[in-house]
Amino acid sequence: MKNRLKVLRAERDWSQQDLGERLGVSRQSVNAIEKGRYDPSLPLAFTISEVFDLPIEEIFSRD
Amino acid sequence: MNAETHSGEARNGFLGRGPWFWTGMTAASTGLFIALAMSGAIEDNGTLMLLLIVPAMNMMALVASAVNRPRGDTCLATGQAQRRYIKRVAIFTSLYLATFALLTFLDKEMTLPYMVKLALATLPGLALSGVFWAIGRLIVEEQDEFMRMLVIRQSLIASGLALSAASVWGFLESAKVAPHVDAYWFAIIWFLGLGVGAVFNRIQYGTWGAV
Repeated sequence: MKNRLKVLRAERDWSQQDLGERLGVSRQSVNAIEKGRYDPSLPLAFTISEVFDLPIEEIFSRD
Repeated sequence: MNAETHSGEARNGFLGRGPWFWTGMTAASTGLFIALAMSGAIEDNGTLMLLLIVPAMNMMALVASAVNRPRGDTCLATGQAQRRYIKRVAIFTSLYLATFALLTFLDKEMTLPYMVKLALATLPGLALSGVFWAIGRLIVEEQDEFMRMLVIRQSLIASGLALSAASVWGFLESAKVAPHVDAYWFAIIWFLGLGVGAVFNRIQYGTWGAV
């Protein structure tokens, strides 16, 4: 999966730590998702969608 | 300076040194301990037990430095579940050392009745089982799905290594082409396997994980 997490985070001037705290996960998790090393579960993807206030398909897309 | 910065400054490892320093100290002292034991330089169990305290103390310092290090400054992670895990491991490791030392000392100093010896010999193994329980609880309590996946991955790698070693060595021993090895060494291989798993995590996911 590809994602726009890094861009969306930069637009809001959030650090990985900031985003991790909003999502209730570690900075390492945010880093792994951003780099495409780890695909989040559906519940976490929904939480990411709510935090950015965007539909999931605007954040994640297939490779 | 705000309170958060002050809080970060207060969390400064153990004796001013971080987890990597204490990991190195633990590895170095353990290596020295194993080298001394294997070379036959120390044959007396009591002395071996006393020396075992050095790597154990270094490991305690590693635990303390991991709990007290500044937040967000490493590729390790310490959530609430991980902090509970570290404390549980510290408790069970201390119990292991204490019961092992007690068994070694009493067995050397006096002739123990069978039932007392049986009870005493059961305790170190049970204490080690407590560490396995702590890892199980970490998997159950960890709320961060990525970190949980890393722990499970480490545990699977460790299990694969330990069970493979036990299987291979067991058949070698049956065929009388290898000397007898006490079964608890396979538990130790399992713990070393956690370290191997952490390296695999670092290579594939960019973080060592939580164990």
